[in-house]
Amino acid sequence: MICLCASILAGHTDTQTNKPKAEVWWSLKPVVRSALPEGTESNPIDRFINAEIKTRKLKAVGPAEKLTLLRRVHLDLIGIPPTPAEQDAFLANKSADAYEKVVDRLLAEEQHAVRFARHWLDVLRYADADERMTAAPGIHLWRDWVINALHDDVPYDQFVQLQLTGRRANERTQMSATGYRSRKEPRPGDQFALGLLARGTGENPQELAINAVDTVSTAFMGMTVGCAKCHDHMYDPITQTNYYSMKALFDPLVLRKITLASAADLLANGKAMAEAEKKRAPLEKAVNDFAAPFKTKLYEERVLMLPPEAQAIIRKPEKQRTVEEQKVADDYFPILRIDGDKLTESMPVEARKQYQELQRQLNAGGAATTGRQAPALPLFYGVEVDRLREQEKSYILTSGDPLRPEKEHEVKPGWPFATEEPDFREGRIEAFADWLTAPENPLFARVAVNRMWQWHFGEGLLKNTSDFGVFGGAPSHPALLDWLASEFVRDGFSMKQIHRLMVTSDVYKRASEAGTEFAENQNLDPGNTALWRFRLRRLEAEPIWDSIHSAVGDLDLKVGGPSFDPTAGGDGNRRRNESAGNGGTSSKRRGVYMTRGYSPSREVTPNFLQTFDVDDGRAPCPLRTQTVTAPQALFLMNSPDIDKASVELADRLKKETKGDLPSAVDLAYRLALARPPSASEKTSALAYLENDAARLNRLSWLLFNLDELIYVR
Amino acid sequence: MSDSSKPSAIYPCGRLARRDFIHQIGGGFLGLALGGLWAEAGEIKDVAIGPDHAAKAKSVIFLFMCGGVSHIDTFDPKDNKWAGKFIDAIGFGDNLAAMKRPVIPCLRTFTRHGKSGTPVSDWFPHVGGVIDDIAVVRSMWCHEGNHFPAVVETQTGHRGRAFDNPAFGSWVSYALGSANKNLPTFVNLGRPSSPVQLTGGYLGASVAATPFQAGETPIPNLYPPKGGSSAERERQMQLLHTMNQEFRERYAINSDIQARAKAYELAARMQLSAPEAVDFSGEPEHVKALYGIGEKETEEFGKQLLLARRLAEKGVRFIQICHAGGGNGAWDSHGDMKTHGPLCRATDKPISGLIKDLKQRGMLDQTLVVWTSEFGRTPWSQNTTGRDHNPKGYTSWMAGGGIKGGVVHGGTDEVGYKAEDSPHYYSDLHATILQQLGLNHKKIKVEALGRTMKLVEDGGPIKEIIA
Repeated sequence: MICLCASILAGHTDTQTNKPKAEVWWSLKPVVRSALPEGTESNPIDRFINAEIKTRKLKAVGPAEKLTLLRRVHLDLIGIPPTPAEQDAFLANKSADAYEKVVDRLLAEEQHAVRFARHWLDVLRYADADERMTAAPGIHLWRDWVINALHDDVPYDQFVQLQLTGRRANERTQMSATGYRSRKEPRPGDQFALGLLARGTGENPQELAINAVDTVSTAFMGMTVGCAKCHDHMYDPITQTNYYSMKALFDPLVLRKITLASAADLLANGKAMAEAEKKRAPLEKAVNDFAAPFKTKLYEERVLMLPPEAQAIIRKPEKQRTVEEQKVADDYFPILRIDGDKLTESMPVEARKQYQELQRQLNAGGAATTGRQAPALPLFYGVEVDRLREQEKSYILTSGDPLRPEKEHEVKPGWPFATEEPDFREGRIEAFADWLTAPENPLFARVAVNRMWQWHFGEGLLKNTSDFGVFGGAPSHPALLDWLASEFVRDGFSMKQIHRLMVTSDVYKRASEAGTEFAENQNLDPGNTALWRFRLRRLEAEPIWDSIHSAVGDLDLKVGGPSFDPTAGGDGNRRRNESAGNGGTSSKRRGVYMTRGYSPSREVTPNFLQTFDVDDGRAPCPLRTQTVTAPQALFLMNSPDIDKASVELADRLKKETKGDLPSAVDLAYRLALARPPSASEKTSALAYLENDAARLNRLSWLLFNLDELIYVR
Repeated sequence: MSDSSKPSAIYPCGRLARRDFIHQIGGGFLGLALGGLWAEAGEIKDVAIGPDHAAKAKSVIFLFMCGGVSHIDTFDPKDNKWAGKFIDAIGFGDNLAAMKRPVIPCLRTFTRHGKSGTPVSDWFPHVGGVIDDIAVVRSMWCHEGNHFPAVVETQTGHRGRAFDNPAFGSWVSYALGSANKNLPTFVNLGRPSSPVQLTGGYLGASVAATPFQAGETPIPNLYPPKGGSSAERERQMQLLHTMNQEFRERYAINSDIQARAKAYELAARMQLSAPEAVDFSGEPEHVKALYGIGEKETEEFGKQLLLARRLAEKGVRFIQICHAGGGNGAWDSHGDMKTHGPLCRATDKPISGLIKDLKQRGMLDQTLVVWTSEFGRTPWSQNTTGRDHNPKGYTSWMAGGGIKGGVVHGGTDEVGYKAEDSPHYYSDLHATILQQLGLNHKKIKVEALGRTMKLVEDGGPIKEIIA
């Protein structure tokens, strides 16, 4: 069924020269498990990297200091710096596998899943709010699902299968004793994986399908199929037909609302609603009865305004109108619609007063019985195949407008690079998911291991981690990329195995600074593409937040639940986030849970996240922009958050050192930077403190403003 | 990432890497805050595209009326002979809109003002007073008929959000760079209809709008928390520099680290210069009065426009003022045209005050004032006494910055629905502003997302209104 062979590109012509391209693009060639280069290094990654360093006549720097490495691997794997106790334990452990033990401990922590869920959710364009996003209530359950899946090390192929189909590949159908095959119920909890598809904006299933193609193709295939929405892809072998074929896979999907409540809650809710209605009914009747004559009069006046032929149609009972006549009647509907303010305007002053009093009573009565409706029940939106939509044909929409399909250009469901007729017996998306996640698919594993490499080393082996097409260029270490991809498949798609392999390599453990003896390296490879040293990296917004609160000691490590808005209530311009506020959200939760998203009319993503380059989640974000700007400096210098954290860190220092300033300085450095101060740092800090413990909050401020706090060495 | 001396041109999320933006700004000043630690004289080298020809305008004050101003009731008078008739019955329909809608009368009185005799409605008497400095374009149009899509279209020059297209001000900021190293290049005042109006898109955060508030704190986190002493903060800043020194030396080859030092520098400079910009205590009463400051209805917008003038004076390139934003925008008068009244009163005097003030300071020649909405309003109502959205024909106007005064250009049809005489797609407005800034709209482009992204796809300057 899967064949990604030369024939795919053989027919493709170069847009500039109009000559057929002879060569298959590297990313579409099958993954070949590369032979390990000669060497004594035990970690295969080091063999590949060091071979390249040797070829390019570079010199690798030595390993990083122990505490530097400990902070690096902590921030990388769990996003939280090591505590002083963890620092001590690591320094004290002289055994050969001390570091490996740390790695294993971190990978087993739930906070590791929290940290890596954030990486994946950037790629999968998670947002708490988006323009017309129906699935917003309960969308955090998808985030919780991703966290759980990563914690359980669900194999990557299943991780993707579940988010596309809601089921594991071998659990789709079941056979009854009488030989009747039926669809199997998904495992409880797996329905939340479908947040990926449900998150596509809007009620319109067309939008959902378009959003699905854009996200799935960039996230899992590393292909910007989206360009082919309006024209054939300029560079890559993806045609407009490919794009709409892929969209046709998702065309039958509709949103499915799932009420997450116990039977008792549902019954109680229904009862409350009925009671509220019962109390409202007489009040409502009084209002309607009073308004009726005025409404009729106004309506009559409006009808008389219309042309005679339209009047005749309007006066016919609806069932007697022809289709054309109904169209005319619909056209005039806005003219005849009677708005509340127009109704009150038409009443004489006395009547108006009476009417408003009746309305007031209705509203007051309604409020006393919790309004028209009972309290909202928790919800989640998944997706399901609509059997009627599945019968419909799909068309190309060059205009991008779902209401203007090109009826002469029908497309069949499919995907780019498929050569055989797909087998849709188990479902369209199921067939696609099987092709996508197959071990032979050259894109699937390559794209995933390259993302993981980027998350650990700061830059992918292929820099543009979501563009394996012609524009994305070639990887820096093609043999290593292929070896990793094949290893990933061989390990049964275990993400934790790959993380472990990467962070236990010597290349990961290298120092990030290079002395003057490496000046020649700087000339030969200024971009450090050969990885002769570790890349210095600025922390992302969330670990900055987490680092500050973990230094203070009040970071709330609870896993899961709705997002929080750190500015809720404080900023008059911002409405409270709907999903925040319930479930006892605290503003000391990890940055991962900070609300984000987009709305045309209000700021959803808090200023802090925006300042530190977090996207609003409207599009997949495989790599965050890393700016260094004045507003970031202003946040760290002047924000109330930092002011408060400085005072709280000072309190902690005083308490834990009983006011002994030299130990307080020591502890401050260890809490904020995960290392003790150097002798000169200690001297200048003590000089600054002037023997006054009250000045500790100012020292705390200084630590929060150090470059080192927001960089990983 | 951090190591690259030449960062990749584009991040996959669709933003240009321009971290060099900050650290290329020559140091300056800062003496007060940082004891002259980094004081140096420097040229500003953050220009990405640069001038194409001599500029007429140095700054743009862009007045955006959120929600759609009715051109018919302000700058594009029509007689009421079709009032009460259905729009399709009188032959102005085009089958795209629901046409069974009655044309409603315009209740305004128009007066011919100034030497030019340009008619202005009684909702803008003060603007009428400076009409000889204004070129009215009555034939603007765009595609989108709903607020958000139209704001996106008019502000970014592109329909839809398939790409993260930057706002117009960000393009200007990107192309020209800063003229004042102590202040941002693109400043927004007032609440926009949409965050899109502030975005740097694929040009990056460094050229995005910095929102200023006309009030005590113009920028978030601008001031140190209350209760701290400035002498202590200065001491902290000095020590911070010392404490960072070793780290910065170790990673000296890293452009990020240099940029961070400069970011603190700019932050400190803004801390000093931004309060000065929003401090009106040195403004004489008669100047404040010009803007309507001190009068309840005009106080807020007047203060914003005075701040705009002060920012233009200090070299801020693009000052965008969003009036009545948030949601659809308060100019969205579907229900009753009367709701335009208070909005006109709130803006009329401040706008005329701005133009008079610029003129008396000799600044109008180098300051381009633009007044526009995302679209206009229809001749008909939706069974109300208000008007619906109309992208097919509406009015924008410009003053100063080398624009002809007292000119009326283009026109809509007899009822005020479609632009018929010299129609101008909204991009022409962008191209005109660029032209006056010394930029060539054809050169305003960038390689991003595997293709050439342009601000103006099609169109060019409105030559008829350029002096």
